[in-house]
Amino acid sequence: MIEILKRMLRSPQGALGLVIVGLILLAVIVGPWFAPYDPEKMAPLMRYKPPSAQFWLGTDQYGRDILSRLLHGARATVVMAVIATALGTLVGAVVGTISAFLGGRSDEAIMRTVDAIMSIPSLLLALLIVNLLGKSSVNALLAIALAFAPGMARVTRSVALAVRKQDYVNAAIARGESAAYIVGREMLPNVVAPIVVEMTIRVAFAVMLFATLSFLGLGAQPPASEWGLMVAEARRFMHLSPWMILWPSLAVALVAIGFNLLGDGLRDALNPRS
Amino acid sequence: MATPILDIAGYGLDYATPAGFTRALDDVTLSIARGEVLGLVGESGSGKTSLAWAIMRHLPKSAREAGAIRLTGQDLLKTSEAEIEAIRGKRIGMVFQDPSTSLNPTLSLGTQLAEVLVRHRGLTRKQAWAEGEERLAHVGLKVPGQMMRRYPHEASGGEKQRVVIATAFACQPECIIFDEPTTALDVITARQILDLFKELQAETGVASLYISHDLALVSQIATKVAVIHRGKIVEQGAVAEVFARPRDAYTQKLLAAVPRPDHRLVDTAAPAAGKPLVEVEKVSVHYGRKPFLGRLLGRANTQFTGNREVSLCVMPGEILGIVGESGSGKSTLAKAMTGLNRFEGEIRFAGRRIAGLGDMDRAYRRDVQIIFQHPDSSLNPRQRIREILSRPLELYGEPGARKDAAAIGELLEQVRLPASFAERYPHQLSGGEKQRVAIARAFASKPKLVICDEITSALDVSVQASVVELLVDLQKRFGTAYLFITHDLNLVRQIAHRVAVMYRGDLVDLVDVAALTDGTLHPYTRSLLDAVPAPAAAAA
Repeated sequence: MIEILKRMLRSPQGALGLVIVGLILLAVIVGPWFAPYDPEKMAPLMRYKPPSAQFWLGTDQYGRDILSRLLHGARATVVMAVIATALGTLVGAVVGTISAFLGGRSDEAIMRTVDAIMSIPSLLLALLIVNLLGKSSVNALLAIALAFAPGMARVTRSVALAVRKQDYVNAAIARGESAAYIVGREMLPNVVAPIVVEMTIRVAFAVMLFATLSFLGLGAQPPASEWGLMVAEARRFMHLSPWMILWPSLAVALVAIGFNLLGDGLRDALNPRS
Repeated sequence: MATPILDIAGYGLDYATPAGFTRALDDVTLSIARGEVLGLVGESGSGKTSLAWAIMRHLPKSAREAGAIRLTGQDLLKTSEAEIEAIRGKRIGMVFQDPSTSLNPTLSLGTQLAEVLVRHRGLTRKQAWAEGEERLAHVGLKVPGQMMRRYPHEASGGEKQRVVIATAFACQPECIIFDEPTTALDVITARQILDLFKELQAETGVASLYISHDLALVSQIATKVAVIHRGKIVEQGAVAEVFARPRDAYTQKLLAAVPRPDHRLVDTAAPAAGKPLVEVEKVSVHYGRKPFLGRLLGRANTQFTGNREVSLCVMPGEILGIVGESGSGKSTLAKAMTGLNRFEGEIRFAGRRIAGLGDMDRAYRRDVQIIFQHPDSSLNPRQRIREILSRPLELYGEPGARKDAAAIGELLEQVRLPASFAERYPHQLSGGEKQRVAIARAFASKPKLVICDEITSALDVSVQASVVELLVDLQKRFGTAYLFITHDLNLVRQIAHRVAVMYRGDLVDLVDVAALTDGTLHPYTRSLLDAVPAPAAAAA
């Protein structure tokens, strides 16, 4: 683990990604305590303020401090995105590995189904699911997880196919092991590395997808300080105070870039040949 | 003696790694004169190929060098990159191990051969093409005109290697490096390539550096031999001298490890006739699915046949060798017997009928174990040795049987490994040690039949000898029967009681090992026997 961190720090993308993601995680964990104001405290006299010494990032249409709202919102945004990705990855990895293990007609059936689901754009699929389940953060999370699973299944299957040909899997079959053991203990541990890389990159997508859902009013609901929702609300006041839309957008972009760089660095670090 | 063509003096090579420098070659001194063949023999990782690339001046950036490599007096280490480019291919040629990877799959064979001629001999495209055809005819290709237009995938391995050799000889170089040119080929093809090499060598008098791990082969073609071990030349001299009176301990060990058919490792007498342990009756294996649409439209079956009605039997405690070239269906049979392939026909094990995968229950799987060729791939890299060895104990052990650390320690000691290896991961072991772990895993269930699928061919000669010795020892202790699959005829003649020969999915011969020397054999078996290089002259 420490060895991998060291190798990541050696490449510029890896180091930068680690720093950005580290800062984001810091904001997630201790952010609320460092927020200078209550994120939901309204101040009618302090509306649409530009950044100043008093309000570092300015205030919104109700006079709420944007910095405080961002720090509080980090938890909702980033944690939700990570959980959604992890859930989607888990489902996708298991489906992909099982598909590769079974092979033949079952593999065809599973993968063609996955293809069919993948042909629906992920945002559309997420919208569909949220509309079916109702508007809420948890449903948005499930929707994103479900939207990600087919892609992860595809990635995992391609790696698992190579693992399936290895003799240790043949040895396990010849030994008479159960399918669950072979998939869980022989194959899955050997497909983890590329999946972890793919997952970090997808966290960035999840943050954006989540923000998009909130922006469309299908994810987090006001007065939550979820970043996507903040962008959505600020849109109407864009001409009055551009700061309101700028900061949460930048925060979303930063998370996306951070996780992308982390994924790049991780991919290089986990591949000893590079 | 005239000045040598290739003269390597005190050459050292280090690779820079994050952990410091690793020594690849240490004070190597060699010289090859015109008309000489120097056989460079060593095991994997000994630095043979590094030396070849050093001579070709194609080393990674992390390389640090010392000493000198001279080509007719010119020090290649001090030569500029541009001059080297003029020398490569023109004055030094190279023949690689695997012709299927050393030829570009997107260019026709003729284009690749003509390019060398255009570049180094200043011929026009048209002249080069004509010259190329002539060259191909010269290396014994029947239809050179056609061969020029073919792409690598349209030619067989032997044909491709002939093209590579023709390319290497095309510009009449002074020196050619052969890097295991026959290792990737089948026994009979390899024999033909060797004959071609001898012929061309005698005709052109080129100074050849022949790199190989195969002592028997080198003893046949080389005039001088150098033995390399961990980057150091431990011994060199005339072939007859080195093979008859090896001075260095490592050379002696290498020579002793070469399988010799006349040196039997097991009692020749086959186990007394009785009830066979396993009978394979008319087992056929077809690869590929029957296409659904094809069946509807009544199209011909496009399945590929792996085995065609193979019948054989193994007695309890018998070692049955199966030989044949790659693609002959040896491994297919092994996979059918362990339930990895669907098969038609019938297997009878200790009197029980096994007609399909469904009949292979736990008892059958316990009694029939398989060991694979590559230990790297047969041990899960994410599991510790302890976990790998505990699985068969958990699956097949009787309820009261021990599965603790002591039981695993015993398994490891059975294959002469320290019990402390249980906590290691496979990548922390050497190739030979990994294969021993795989053997320990197979023997954990106390099987009656162990199928060894080319288990020594990925190992070095000396390691191979110790693994074979271990197998023979285990066989004596437990009376286990082996189905020993290999392409190495010398090895199989050392240990097998009976030998089965397979060719393109058919079983062509099944004879006692003694009958291989005299007795009536299938013509294919005969040609296989003729193609195998006799082991190096027996050490006196």
